[in-house]
Order: sequence, then C-alpha cells, then structure tokens
Amino acid sequence: MFDVYHPTKKELFQIMDNEGKVINKEWFPKIDDSTLLKAYKELVFARAADLMIVSYQRQGRIYTYPPGYGQEAVSEAVAVQMKKEDWVVPAFRELPLYLAKGASLKDVFKFYMGDEKGAGWSNAKNMLPISVPIATQLPHAVGLGYSLKYNKKDNVVYAFVGDGGTSTGDFHEAMNFAAVWKVPVVFIVQNNQFAISVPFETQTGTDTIAIKSVAYGMPGLRVDGNDFFAMYKAIEQASEHARSGKGAVLIEAVTYRRGAHTTSDDPYKYRTKEEEELWEKKDPVKRLKAYLITNKLWTEEEDDRHIKACKKEVDKLFIETEQELSYELDEVFDHLYSELPDDLEKQKARYKAFLEWKAKRK
Amino acid sequence: MKYTFNFPDIGEGLEEGTIAEWYVEPGSKVETGDPLVKMETDKVVTDIPSPRNGTIVERFGEEGEVVEVGNPLVIIQLEGEESSEEQQENFEVEEEGAGVVGTIEVASGNDVMPASNEGVAEATTTKPLPSKALATPVARALARDLGVDINQVAGSGNNGRVMKEDIIAFKNQNQQQPVASTPAQQQPVISNNYAFDETVEELPLTQIRKTIAKNMVYSKQNAAHMTLFDEAEVSELVKLRDKIKHRYAEKGVKISYLHFLLKAIALSLRHHPQLNAEMNLENNKMILKKYYHLGIAVDAPQGLVVPVLKHADKISLLDIAQQTNQLAEKARNSQLSMDDMKGGTFTITNFGSIGGRFAVPVINYPQAAILGAGKIFKKPVVKNDEVVAGTVMPLSISVDHRIVDGGEVTRFMNRVIEYMEDPYLLLLES
Repeated sequence: MFDVYHPTKKELFQIMDNEGKVINKEWFPKIDDSTLLKAYKELVFARAADLMIVSYQRQGRIYTYPPGYGQEAVSEAVAVQMKKEDWVVPAFRELPLYLAKGASLKDVFKFYMGDEKGAGWSNAKNMLPISVPIATQLPHAVGLGYSLKYNKKDNVVYAFVGDGGTSTGDFHEAMNFAAVWKVPVVFIVQNNQFAISVPFETQTGTDTIAIKSVAYGMPGLRVDGNDFFAMYKAIEQASEHARSGKGAVLIEAVTYRRGAHTTSDDPYKYRTKEEEELWEKKDPVKRLKAYLITNKLWTEEEDDRHIKACKKEVDKLFIETEQELSYELDEVFDHLYSELPDDLEKQKARYKAFLEWKAKRK
Repeated sequence: MKYTFNFPDIGEGLEEGTIAEWYVEPGSKVETGDPLVKMETDKVVTDIPSPRNGTIVERFGEEGEVVEVGNPLVIIQLEGEESSEEQQENFEVEEEGAGVVGTIEVASGNDVMPASNEGVAEATTTKPLPSKALATPVARALARDLGVDINQVAGSGNNGRVMKEDIIAFKNQNQQQPVASTPAQQQPVISNNYAFDETVEELPLTQIRKTIAKNMVYSKQNAAHMTLFDEAEVSELVKLRDKIKHRYAEKGVKISYLHFLLKAIALSLRHHPQLNAEMNLENNKMILKKYYHLGIAVDAPQGLVVPVLKHADKISLLDIAQQTNQLAEKARNSQLSMDDMKGGTFTITNFGSIGGRFAVPVINYPQAAILGAGKIFKKPVVKNDEVVAGTVMPLSISVDHRIVDGGEVTRFMNRVIEYMEDPYLLLLES
C-alpha cells in the first residue's frame, strides 16, 4: 500500500466520497458492523462534547479551549483499533481518542478549568498528557518507541501533531531519530489547513506533509482525514508496519478545523465562509452517517436519540465536574521548581490578589 | 430563583464587549446553550449562550452599547423555581437592575448627568415621582435631545420604566399647554451648540478620540491635580549636546534634549518613590513601582498617543535616543502595538518641541505624575551676582496630590534640574 500511494505520487488516499458512497472498494477495510457503529457513536459523542465545551466557555464556565470540531475521524480511527498497551501521545485535538483510551470527559473538563489533575487521565494507561506546546511531545514519542523496541514489546506509539507543528525543530529531530532507529511510532499529522491563522501554503515549502517522509526515510501516506474508512485503513497498515519491527510511519491526515483555533480566536479574520461551506460538505461525521444509513445500519431516529443522549450525558458530567472541582492555588506553581523563582513568586502573589478580588465581586 | 448572568471573560483578558444583537427579550424562554446575545469583543465576535434553563426577566444594555466584563447581561428566572412571592422579588430585581444600568452608563460616557430642567414648567408635575427614573440610555439620550427632564416623565413600561413614547408624549403635551414662564425658560434646549444656518463639518468620533476624552475626564475627576513650575539653566547641556551630537549622528541617531531629560527623570525617580507610585484605595495600599517605564506623549496625526520607554533608568543615553525615536516614528505611522503603549509608570510631555513653554499637564491616571518640558530659550539670568545671558528649559510637573506631597515634588524637581544643569552627572550614573 505504501508503494501504491507513495507520497511522490501526491495522491490523496480516499475510500468514500462526500456522500458516503464507497469509491475505492479495493482498499475497503475489514471492519465489523458493531465496531463501526461503536466508532460512529463515539464520534458523535466527542462532537457533542466539543461543541458544548465551546458553549460552556462562552458562558464563562470553563477557560480557553481548542475545539476539534471537524477533525474527529482522524483520532477515532486510532481509537477503535489500538491495543490496550499501545501508547498515545496527544497534541490537543484528539478528544475521541482520550475517551477511548479510558479517560473521562471530566478529566478534559478539569484540565481546561485550570485543574492540572485533569492532565493525569484518571483511568487511562499509557497516554501522555495533552501537549499545549507545539510538537514538544514528538521526541517523547520517539523515546517511548525506543523503550518498546528495547524491551521487545510489540506495541505501537501513536503520536499526534498539527500541520503547524511540522515547521518546528522538534518535529524534525523526532522524525530523524524515529527513522534511523526504526522505532514503532506512527506519526499522525492533522493537517487542518491552518497553523492558528497561518495557511498551509505559507508555512512549508512542500506541497504535502507526507512527502517529508521520503527525506527522513520512512513510509508516508496522504489520507483524507475526513474519510473514516481511509483513515482506518491507513492506521491499520501503519500499525502493522510499526508493530512488525519495520519502523515508523508518517501519516498526513488532510482535514479541516471547522471551529476556531481556540475560543480566543476569530477564524473569520483569516478565512472565508465559502471555504467553510466547502469543507462542511466533506465533514467526517456527516459522511460516515450517510454510509451507515445507506447500508441500513443506522436511522435518522436513532441518530436524533443518540445526539440527545450524548448532550444529556455531557451536561451531567460537566455539572458534576463543576461541583467537584477543587484545586489549590499552590498547585499551579508548585511542580516545576523546588524553590520558586522571584518572578513566579510575584505572579503567584498577583494571582492570589486577583482571585480575592474576583471573590469579592461575586 | 433568579440567576444573574454576568458577561464572562471569553477571550483571556477581555475588559469589555459591545452588544451587536439581542436574540432574547424579557419573557423569552431559554435553554442552556441557547444564544442570548451577539457580542463584539477585541478578540472575537461571538454569540453568548445561556448558562441556565428559564425565562428572561431582564436584559441589560442596548445594541451598540458597551458592557464591561463582570457586569450583568441578563437575569433569568430559573425553570421550575418560580417563587410564590413573584411580585415582591420582581420589584427588588428591578431596583438592582436600575443600578446596573447606571453603571453601564458611567462606562459608556456622559449619561449620568441629569437632563436639563430648562423648558419644562414646574407646574406640570402632578404626582410624586422617583428621584431617578428607570430608563434605557437610548431613552435618556432622547429626553436630553428634546430638552425633557426624564425624572418628570411618568413611565408606562415595567415598574414605571420610562419608554421613548412616554418622552415624546410628555414633550408634545407640554408644548400644547402654554405655561407662564420667563423667556429664558422658554428657549429650546439644543443639544448641539452651533448655528443651524452656518457651515459646520461633522466628523465621527474616532476610537482614539473617545479614549482620550474618557481618560482625560477620568483623570481630572479622580486625581487631585497640583502643578509646580520651574526652570533649568541648561547652558552646559547645550554645550554637551553640541559636542556629542555628531558622534550620535554617525551612528544614525538623532539626539535631542528630550533624551537627556528622560534619563534625568528616570534617575531622579529612583530617589523619589512617591512620584512613581499608584494608589489602590480598594485595598488601602500604596504601590511603589521599582521599575521606571516612561510614557512619552506623542502628538501623532490621529491624536495623542503615549508609547512607553521601558526601564529608562537601566539603558544608556544612546539606547534611550534610539528607542524613543523608534517609538515616535511608530506613533506617527500608527504602528504602535498594545505592548508599546502598556505599563507606563510616569509620563513626559514635550510641548517644547512645538514651541510651548509652560502648561498644566493632565496626569496619565493612575500614574502619580506627568512632567512637561517647555521650549529652551535665552533669557537674562543672574550668575555670581551678574546678569548674563542664560539658556533655560521651562519645566512643569503635575502630580496627584493624594499620592505626592508638595515637598516631595519640589525635591524631585530640584533633582531633575540638578541633572539638567550638570549633565555630566547623567553620564556618570546609570
């Protein structure tokens, strides 16, 4: 497969079209109906949660949040087929995967409400915390991969980064080491077209991200990230490659961030409504739903019911988190230095004063 | 139970937003997540959703008005928690709401002044009315334009809220009933003080002009201004500058007297902490800043802007000259960033460059002081009991007398003058 869709051919690997019709039967993955339905339900749940978090943020109930709206299929394709002991190294737009790994949505809420304990993933093994700094997680992923190889385990590391992250030094170093050491790491670049507001064309000289794999010396694939089946197949092939000791793989998932970069960003300043409408047609959830309905695996009624149930569950978990949330100011400052430097000491005092001021205003 | 929903900080450090569009009105049923209002902020234009299920009781602010973060947007009667004492509670909420509208008015400018009484006969008051009528800012503006005292108008809205129709009806009624009054009282009040039959040019108020207006009035109303004038005899400085300006020019830097003055002030401030302080009445604290960021008032084409020279006490004269020139250049080309203008601890205004000598500068609140440098000119001075031609720089400093005592500002001025009269000290100290 890596030869058929070799990055130098600049082809986009697709299996279904925008209407959910299969256009590439040859590569259609073997996936049973119940797994498929499970994947779809998880996608819908993640989307409901994602949209509701943005709404909570606008209500002043949670802090800055980076939505994954429109990109859900990329990480869901990993979520449904990873093995229990496989490692996940997230960036910050892989909500369905955190949940599939065993984390609670409450962890995510806590993290974005300022409680660092959320980053510890209460019930998920072998997953690093959300990484807000760009691409710094990739060298960690290679280190994890190296340890798996050294200990002769047949597990895989799934490492995520965005298109903007590929323009950093950490990306380059990670790719280089991963290729030369042949570690079992699957790099998944969510190319959502923008590094915050910087369009893809103005931040790299290559036409695609997948092509970079050629220079590093590892297989690469350019996949329609909004096509669940294509993503599933690509991850399946890459996992097999990595698990069998052949080394790392780079997957470029071509997708689109339908929301803002974060809740502090206004995408209308750098992209058009027309462009958004174009990508709405390629939406991953819409496409998979169309496939399921056409193949009589799912109905509109079931969909409505499921969406309602998801929203109810998300709201319930959110309200519980609001009630349970408790963290001390010190926790925010305590875990990096044994002795707090002067500037952080000052910052802490100011933040304390701010919290007191805020409490008084209530 | 009622829930007051305050405008949240939705963009990491927002202070305010402008109401673009209301989606609800009193009586609207809302569910959690339903959009209430579209807000325009510095960061984003976005819908603000409801945090609760219920019915809107009250909304605050009209479209186009500014709401500060932390001030109420709506009050929601929570679903399934309607009180049996509805009437009573409703009244209380209205009272609270009236205060809130007042707050918003303060924030948005000039609506707190009572409307004029002129043109309204006393006799028309037939029943006692509350001292301050409930009304939206839009209604208040209309009343003011029509010369109607809004507090005299009986409101037909909820809880006696004065509606626009009430004001118009009141105005018409009063015009139809001629009342005995002096000619002066009968003169119509026009909100715009210019002749209707002469040529005028109307320009929209720019954001910068509005900000200047707001800040100036705020400073004058809240700081206790006190001004001290003096002169520095700067013959030595003139000589020094003449000697070194070519050296600076070789490096492509134009060095001016302002740059020496900036250095003199930064060094003097270290000895006089009151002048670099800020008062926090809320916490009963005086904040003495141990860093010296000098704001420099620049007469830019679009209006007054005040870029900030950071750590002026720690950098060399050459750096001061370079950075100040850069800031001024950016100011003139409208290229200043927020960072360039933030964090000043003391301000300097250099009206001398345009030819002015003395002024009573307005403090850049909440700073403690502002120093104005006048034009250097020749005049007779007494040296060793002889009248000789001297070169003087007039200096004017305004301080907030709440923070700075008279003795302290005089001592500060003396020190600045000492540096300016013996500029070699500036080169020695850093």
